[in-house]
Amino acid sequence: MISAANHSADPWVGSARQRRRMTSLLTYGAIAGLAGFTLLALSHWIGLWGDRATLTNAQSHLPASLHHWLGTNAIGQDIAARAAAGAATAFKTGMLVALLTSTIGGALGMLAGYFPGRWPDLLVSWLIAVIDAIPFYLLVGALAYAAQGAPGTVVAALTLAFWTSTARYIRAETLKIRETGYVVSARTQGVPLAIILYRHVAPNIRHLLLIQATIIFIAAVKSEVVLSFLGLGDGQSVSWGRMIAESSQDILAGHFANFVVASGSLVVLVAALNVLTDVLSDHFDPRYWRS
Amino acid sequence: MLRTLFLRVIPVMLGVTALGFTLLVKFGPDRALELAGRNPTAQEVAVIREQLHDGRPWIIQYGHYLSDLLTLDLGRSDSTGEPITRLLARTIPNSIALVLPGFILGHLLALFLAGIAASHRNHWPDRLIASSAVLAMSVSFVVVMMTAQIAFASRYGLSWFPARGWSTASISQWLSFVAVPTFTIVFVSTGYNVRFYRAVLVEEMSREHVKTCQMLGYSRWRTMLVAVIPNALLPISTRVMYSIPSLVVGGSLLLESYFGIPGAGKVTFDAITNGDQPVLKAVLGLSSLLMVLVMVGTDRLYRRVDPRLTLE
Repeated sequence: MISAANHSADPWVGSARQRRRMTSLLTYGAIAGLAGFTLLALSHWIGLWGDRATLTNAQSHLPASLHHWLGTNAIGQDIAARAAAGAATAFKTGMLVALLTSTIGGALGMLAGYFPGRWPDLLVSWLIAVIDAIPFYLLVGALAYAAQGAPGTVVAALTLAFWTSTARYIRAETLKIRETGYVVSARTQGVPLAIILYRHVAPNIRHLLLIQATIIFIAAVKSEVVLSFLGLGDGQSVSWGRMIAESSQDILAGHFANFVVASGSLVVLVAALNVLTDVLSDHFDPRYWRS
Repeated sequence: MLRTLFLRVIPVMLGVTALGFTLLVKFGPDRALELAGRNPTAQEVAVIREQLHDGRPWIIQYGHYLSDLLTLDLGRSDSTGEPITRLLARTIPNSIALVLPGFILGHLLALFLAGIAASHRNHWPDRLIASSAVLAMSVSFVVVMMTAQIAFASRYGLSWFPARGWSTASISQWLSFVAVPTFTIVFVSTGYNVRFYRAVLVEEMSREHVKTCQMLGYSRWRTMLVAVIPNALLPISTRVMYSIPSLVVGGSLLLESYFGIPGAGKVTFDAITNGDQPVLKAVLGLSSLLMVLVMVGTDRLYRRVDPRLTLE
């Protein structure tokens, strides 16, 4: 997972080609895994499974068959269809939270970093400190309590909890960029703030935003599962977390299909994303992954 | 001291309490309706609302909440009527007894593995540890928790420990109940911690004095203990300190609600699902205070230990 270009001077390391092959093998695996899950989520969105994820007219705990590829759960719902619906939920949550946190955290972090010690910075830094002082589950729990099951609560809660880490990184990076020659000269020439930020600062933090977005995607998928598991998730949608919660009863009776399918899908998706994040951060910024 | 208090502790605590209070009181479910019982008349609701002083302006209510927090006068739980101070005093020790073994073992194991990885950098032990860490990071907390329960505490696995429950009557009973949660905590945290510690150690090992140790013929472990770990203590202890507050409330929330352990996490979870507003307000205020104090405390400790930091 260490890219060849950055460590070629290190005599301890095997041949560059060896490592490149290792990295690309992992990358292809991760891309294949991600593509599989995108297809799975798509198959749910275009309605290939019909309403079999929620339909309860089959027998309970059927074994895998041609009709029910992975069998049925305790109330006769098709497990394969529910896994696909869960993939769709995971993708939707991860994507929305990653986009929202990148937008909010990126914009506020850039603003704070460009005006160090002045009021935009003080305000944003204070907001970050406030959000970070509240333990994650309490913040999300308080929001779930306040929203009382309104749709989009999970996305809102995760965005509120996660934008601070993006903002902190972007702020730190902008602090460095604002002292570079091209930004200083743009400033002295009287280039408007919006154009400096858009043309000179933003292109230099894009890679950080991308890495941060994949990290938050992972965190959002994992958190959505935990929240649904706890019953704090979106009550309407099928989620791997709900499947796992349902399966805690099945397991005691010896039915493992629901648990294995839901947790297996989750592990494979997150592992693929983790590998991809490592590859991205090695590619763009080899020092980044230590945090 | 006063400077930190006024510039860091107070503004953040004001923000936290204002945010929490607004979420819970202004946007939360109507507490008067919840307390009124089934099919209340409009008059009954009005009476309860009067008792709760709900009609007062936001800023007055918020001021009362602050002074209640400061004097630790937290009121009573809506669902059980137990005074919240007593409720927390009863449950927090259980949470600590639950997470402490996993917390200590997890950090020690992570440091040990990171030490091996960093001293064999880019050779197979390092590769093995790094890829296992990524794999461990990819497994969800709930999956680890349930798999551990099946494997160690059910008739489908080893059945060594009770499947759920809690007792601190004797050391052996405590150990039997804490074993599966401890395994879960160690498994879930080690992946992340190994990566962090490895990166810290790798950076420390690139310094001149480490090369000197190697040239003097010190063994790997002696170099590690004499020259690397002491210099890496700052980032390591930051990570350890910062994980305390979220562990006491957050980490134990899942474990306690799943294994049925009467700790502060279970209290919080029940308060969220039952809509127990006084408990939520108290837990939110107190745990955030703990978090801020830990941050400020860590910072001050460093300045004591390493005077160079005050110059910045």
